[in-house]
Amino acid sequence: MAQPQAAITQIGQARARIDGPLKVTGTARFTSDHNLPGMLYAVPVGATIAKGRVTAIDIARARQMPGVRAIMKRGDFPPMSHITPNFVEPLMADETRPPFDDDVIRYYGQYVALAVADTFEQAKAAADAVTVSYAAETPNVDPHLAAENTKVVSERGDAEKAYAGAAVTLDAQYAIAPETHNPIETHATVANWDGDELTLYETSQAVVNHRNVLADMLGLPRHKVRVIAKFIGSGFGGKLWPWSQSPLAAAASIKLGQPVKLVLSRPMMFHAVGHRPRIEQRVRLGATRDGKLVSLQHDYVNTTSILDDYEENCGEATPHMYSVPNLRVTSGLAKRNIGTPTSMRGPGAVPGLFATESAMDELAVKLGMDPLQLHLLNEPRLDEGLGVPFSSRHLKECLTLGAEKFGWSNRDPHVGAMKRDGMILGWGMAACSWLAARLDCSVSVELRQDGTARVASASQDIGTGTYTVMAQMAAEMLGIAVERVEVEIGDTKLPPGAVSGGSMLTASLVAPTEEAIAAAGKALIARLVAGENTPFSGAEPQTLAFKQGRIMAKDAQTSMPFAAALQTLQIASISGQGTGQGTFGAQRPKLSSHSFGAHFVEVTWRPEIARLRASRVVSVFDAGRILNPLAARNQIEGAIVMGIGMALLEGTEYDAASGAPINANLADYVVATNADVPALDVHFVEYPDYNLNALGARGVGEIGLAGAAAALTNAVYHATGIRVRELPLKLEDLL
Amino acid sequence: MTSLFDAAVTASDAGEGRIAIKLRVNGQEREVSIDPRMTLLDYLRDVLHLTGTKKGCDHGQCGACTIHINGRRMNSCLALAAAHAGDEITTIEGLGTPGRLHPMQAAFLENDAYQCGYCTSGQIMSAVALLSEPCGASDDDVREFMSGNICRCGAYPNIIRAIQQVRRDQQKDAAPQPAGA
Repeated sequence: MAQPQAAITQIGQARARIDGPLKVTGTARFTSDHNLPGMLYAVPVGATIAKGRVTAIDIARARQMPGVRAIMKRGDFPPMSHITPNFVEPLMADETRPPFDDDVIRYYGQYVALAVADTFEQAKAAADAVTVSYAAETPNVDPHLAAENTKVVSERGDAEKAYAGAAVTLDAQYAIAPETHNPIETHATVANWDGDELTLYETSQAVVNHRNVLADMLGLPRHKVRVIAKFIGSGFGGKLWPWSQSPLAAAASIKLGQPVKLVLSRPMMFHAVGHRPRIEQRVRLGATRDGKLVSLQHDYVNTTSILDDYEENCGEATPHMYSVPNLRVTSGLAKRNIGTPTSMRGPGAVPGLFATESAMDELAVKLGMDPLQLHLLNEPRLDEGLGVPFSSRHLKECLTLGAEKFGWSNRDPHVGAMKRDGMILGWGMAACSWLAARLDCSVSVELRQDGTARVASASQDIGTGTYTVMAQMAAEMLGIAVERVEVEIGDTKLPPGAVSGGSMLTASLVAPTEEAIAAAGKALIARLVAGENTPFSGAEPQTLAFKQGRIMAKDAQTSMPFAAALQTLQIASISGQGTGQGTFGAQRPKLSSHSFGAHFVEVTWRPEIARLRASRVVSVFDAGRILNPLAARNQIEGAIVMGIGMALLEGTEYDAASGAPINANLADYVVATNADVPALDVHFVEYPDYNLNALGARGVGEIGLAGAAAALTNAVYHATGIRVRELPLKLEDLL
Repeated sequence: MTSLFDAAVTASDAGEGRIAIKLRVNGQEREVSIDPRMTLLDYLRDVLHLTGTKKGCDHGQCGACTIHINGRRMNSCLALAAAHAGDEITTIEGLGTPGRLHPMQAAFLENDAYQCGYCTSGQIMSAVALLSEPCGASDDDVREFMSGNICRCGAYPNIIRAIQQVRRDQQKDAAPQPAGA
């Protein structure tokens, strides 16, 4: 038996992804890469009106086209069940109506038929040949919103009274255009019904939820449905919950008895797979002359679909962001003939912080105060919304460190006063916050005789680095090299994992991985004690421990690695399972858990040619302990890129007459390209949050987008004197 | 580029409405009968099952389907398979394998120049083609030359790092050896 070795530190190391070689060689298999024997291709037919009824569907011409196997429409398969969403099972869907449920059209692109054929070309031609007749009505896609029902989200003190009595006030309205997720991998389903079980290759950020929803919708026992998502071409929330292309593909496979592949086109990504809705917000701030906030009112309304109430929780960060004794946050909805919205990266807080952080900048201008100072002055000591301490809040350090790295002290506050190379410079900043929580999550661990380990969970890697971080965690806890850990995820045959959403997965995986390893260790100890010729034969199990992958006697300096123990016992492997309890949605938490950060942005403005560019970004985050700095920085940088898109480029436009999203492609719905993105300088202040998990890690998928758009438009104000209160910014706003 | 009419239509192997074509893909001669409406992208993915090349928009707007035709980068969704008989086609599968990476693939891996990996094949095929294009030396030049490939995950800074690393290594290799070395 060897002496215990010092732990190999796998946590905090910048390391290339373990799944990287598959991704750079095109061998990682995404949903639509699955080609099964006898597979058919399906192409949906979407409604070309946004409100009305289907009066007839003529399939005669399409049905007789070459290679066509079926044209399916309402009534061609048994009716599916509606879903009543709940987060516990989980059983979540934002669009709860199953496809082909009735003849009423409530949004443009709603599926009315499905063409199935031997090849994609044949299915597409057949779908185009289906003739649908409608009784059309005028849709309501009006971008001007009036809340149809409002509710108070958070309240303290008397915000109205304090506002009325405040020495300095600000009252401003902000709007955000509907954003569409547009992962480059469009939503896809490959459904394979074998007569008894249904296997779905899915573009899913939550395979367990997807399995539950599809089984319930189709009336199948849940154990007869398997969902597989080994690689997901990102999702940004759009692939969190199932959309109706999935049950359509499944129904076609069940009816025809053959595998069916259904891949949405890019225009369809604007119809029935969710989006961040249009949001209008009003922020009223009241402050003393020296900048102390006395009142904050934040009222917002978002569009939702005719059948579903999706609420964009814009006030998520508002109650804990600033110290202010009087606060009132209200939300409202406005129904439109548009598909159901859904979570998009940083739902709620991201659009909410655009409004509140723009308002803080506007207030700073009114006060004649540096916005950085205004933030520092109003930094709270505890979460004044919940009345509990912060688990770990280091926003002040993010603000001051970011300011130092950016050179903020050189800022001339006068509009348009700073210049470089003939261009006007604008410097803006904003603070941000995103929730930190855990979800229920199970993990299994198998320790093997060759010294390797396998960790498995029905969780997903949507590009966030879950494969790698799971390997790092297990390697750290077992004292072995990352290369010796095999990770299996993305399959409902594995222990039920957590969704890849809300930046919660990494934090959710820590406890169950630890518990699974401990369980495997306990089982190993039991075998060693019971075994006849082991170094621990006949020992009391409680005198032994399993630490760093080694069995050790508590009172001795000796230990034995698990591989040697398994060899001694002549067993191939030993397994354990662990389950972690979630904290997300807890009603009365004892601590307020969030990540924080600050963005400092420089824009360049050339008024003579109306050219605006983001030219420099410095961002600092308090996001707990960073498990893999290479992947974490990448997450943050990618989020800032999306923030540049949100501020300057992205917006879905709905045609008032037809209700169609008229820029439903990547040439007209513009996202940031490489040339839009300057050098990004990202830093972390690393304070482990041990209240969240034993590694002190929080997620980093969303925090980088929070506040980014406000920092940018605040910089635009500094350059041009024009306050952008509606995103995306349009060049004509600046002329 | 050869014309559509170079592809031989033969009744025997093509079947009704189909067309027989010969293509060289990753150095291998392929002879298949296809639907003449089929894009090169769908031909690669659905017929040859070379699924490393991805479909993101089918309209030449995202770059996920970028391949090399006779050494030049091209959106395979904008090319009809039947129009490329006799052309030399290279896909990501022809560049390297997980055990034997092309230097650009290795640089993408080392620099974490991707997240989800979906646009990555197209990014790498563009980046490799860029090496033999008249692209300036600065990061801004590379940003401009790589702006036909959308990465919605926003791994652009790392994509630039990876490409510039390969270009620096190439220059070192190409530089004349100092005297006496």
